[in-house]
Amino acid sequence: MIYLDNAATTPVAPQVLDVLKDSMNSDFANPGTVYSIGLDARNKIEQAREEIVRVLNIPSTHKIIFTSGGSEANNLFIKGRCFPGKKVACLGLEHPSIRETLEYLRSFGNFPLSLIEFQNEGRLDLKGVSALSANRSRLLCLSHVNNELGTVNDPIQIFDALCQGSPDTRLFMDGVQAVGKLKLPAEIWAGLAGYSVSAHKFHGPKGIGFLVYDSKLSIEPCIHGGGQQDGVRSGTLPVPLIRAMAEAVKIVAERIDETQDHLRCLNQRLVQSLLELDERIPQLNIRFNSLVVDDLKRQSHSIVNFSFPPVEGEVLLHHLEEKLIYVGLGSACSANLKEPSKILKGIGLSDDEARCSLRISFSRNNTIEEVDMFVKEFFKAYEMLYPTFKGKGR
Amino acid sequence: MKDSRTLLIRYDEIGLKGKNRKYFENRLVRNIRYALKGIEGVRIEKIHGRILGRVSRVDADESVYRLTFVPGIASVSIGISMEPDFDKIAEWGIGLINPKLEAEGHLKFCVRTRRSDKSFPSTSTQIDFEVGSRIMGVLTDKGLSVDIKGADFVLEVEIGPQETLVFDNRVPGLRGLPVGSSGQVLSLLSGGIDSPVSTLKLIARGCRVHSIFFDNRTFLGRGGYDKVVRLARILNRYQGGGKLFVIPFQDIQVAIRDHCSDANRVVLYRRMMYRIAYALAEIKRCQGLVTGESLGQVASQTLENLAAVSCVVPMSVFRPLIGMNKQEIITQAKSIGTYDISIEPQPDCCSVFMPDHPATRSKIKDLEADERCFPWEELMARAMDAVETINLDELD
Repeated sequence: MIYLDNAATTPVAPQVLDVLKDSMNSDFANPGTVYSIGLDARNKIEQAREEIVRVLNIPSTHKIIFTSGGSEANNLFIKGRCFPGKKVACLGLEHPSIRETLEYLRSFGNFPLSLIEFQNEGRLDLKGVSALSANRSRLLCLSHVNNELGTVNDPIQIFDALCQGSPDTRLFMDGVQAVGKLKLPAEIWAGLAGYSVSAHKFHGPKGIGFLVYDSKLSIEPCIHGGGQQDGVRSGTLPVPLIRAMAEAVKIVAERIDETQDHLRCLNQRLVQSLLELDERIPQLNIRFNSLVVDDLKRQSHSIVNFSFPPVEGEVLLHHLEEKLIYVGLGSACSANLKEPSKILKGIGLSDDEARCSLRISFSRNNTIEEVDMFVKEFFKAYEMLYPTFKGKGR
Repeated sequence: MKDSRTLLIRYDEIGLKGKNRKYFENRLVRNIRYALKGIEGVRIEKIHGRILGRVSRVDADESVYRLTFVPGIASVSIGISMEPDFDKIAEWGIGLINPKLEAEGHLKFCVRTRRSDKSFPSTSTQIDFEVGSRIMGVLTDKGLSVDIKGADFVLEVEIGPQETLVFDNRVPGLRGLPVGSSGQVLSLLSGGIDSPVSTLKLIARGCRVHSIFFDNRTFLGRGGYDKVVRLARILNRYQGGGKLFVIPFQDIQVAIRDHCSDANRVVLYRRMMYRIAYALAEIKRCQGLVTGESLGQVASQTLENLAAVSCVVPMSVFRPLIGMNKQEIITQAKSIGTYDISIEPQPDCCSVFMPDHPATRSKIKDLEADERCFPWEELMARAMDAVETINLDELD
């Protein structure tokens, strides 16, 4: 099997699985109880939290709230800060868990500002910051790494621009696709009011993630209950998932240099091979929707998104599936919907161009041989399908 | 005896049968026993043209729920055995009516008594009055009224020589005929809204319906297959013993797409589906094919195109939805529990296999000419060799 859909999810790392299994066995006590095994469980959560804080360079000005994943962290921060009336903005290319949360606010008369006219190469053009101040937006929500394109909004550049052009606007970033792919140096946190993370995108288990936020801010809870996590997010904490996530974070942070080099090689090999194919085959017209640059401030190496009209992406995906090659089509959260991806349309693709696209997303597990095999099978499938789609006006 | 309940299972159509009525009754009793399998201590009795089920109190609702899936049953009601005491019967009736009354704000009701113990001192009409007036005395102020003909709630009382039973409101059944009383048919099942409804129509006419699905996962992925398996499982709850046959269809579709005229493609696909379904029906001893076609709904469902597909099989093709409009079909799909699955997004083959302008009036001689352009017999044989058979009972 060749798995090239790592932006959808990743396989759990063996060391992470060991921690998870061991913890499932030993850490069953409720960390909210006062007897010794409960206290032990709570201590293990604190150790995990400290580990995360340490390897991600999170300063003591910021707090961590464990959640069920990235979607919950996005909901918790945005609603918890801006419901019902605080003005909020986004670029318009965010994951549905941000987009739909803003739509929810809209239903209460809190109309979010979209900066889509300021998108350039799938990123926020810093000129858009002036619109935030004119609109008096209190929060700007952006993807750190776009989930379909892999394009990067650099938090430091954006924070600087906000300080200059709209000092009352705080920055919230969806970091789900960034952890394990980009370095998170200590300097970024000062500019971040909130940041969301999900474990299963970097070889951790599903069902766990966290929100990092500036502890000076107050957040209204979405889930009420036993008052765990300072009342911000009630619910018994899942010790094994948290410990496994901490292990996964530790591994990706320790290997970040090595991983980035590896992803760069995979990315370049794929882009190069596709360009060669494009050159060689007259009826193949590849357009890269993600950026073809070696600049981690603009584009993550982990995602390559490209179109190849007139052949439809989904049909090609199923042909690759027959060869046990698994690739992505738009974002996994909306892949079931028939309408083409809002993100690809947001950067100017037509419906048909958006439909005729694939997203290849790497993890450290992938190899150059797998990329070569993908390109070979992609071309075979394309060649077979081309006559069918030719002349469809696509 | 407060811990046991008596289910009164009524049937309608079987009652109209003549000499073979026993056969239908016995079949229905068998199906009821099958449906209630696993419920502890259940006893089914056939007494004087009625079917009674004895179950414990805790299993009564679950039993009624399961019986609503059994074709041949007109209605079921849950009864309790009690003393023939008007106060006690009325008290029980109030307990049944009150929650519904509170939910609705008003309710029309009546009492209907059947007195087979002729030695009982009051007549049926007197019992209706005695019980009804006691209930009214308590619930009139809450909005209860009496309506003999248009009652929302009928409290049924049966006074027999052995016991007196008081029944809750009737729960409607599927009606029709018991499965197994009419033989077997094969239904062309897709992931859409229509074909599950047509399948159930034949199940409710007493057929055991097996299904056939034409799979093209090479182009469309396994989503369609998974969806059809889920639909087939739901439909099998109404009959038991159903099978789903999955035929790989991509090679045939590709051949038609590549070698035949664009406009005729859809009808050509369907002719191949019919041929394969017919061949499989013969092997599996099915006596007819079932489709979800509705006249004029799509291009392949015009009179001309229906004729052009039917003529390839010397077998009855049943189209129970032929005269129904889409809304009626949707309503039925919702009531049988398949609608929500049917509308789940699923990749369709439009972009790859559907022509831009499908012919609405295909000519048979043109279709035959198209079919000479690809080796359909060989492809059909290959597809049939690769059939996957899913025994739906085993999935539950």
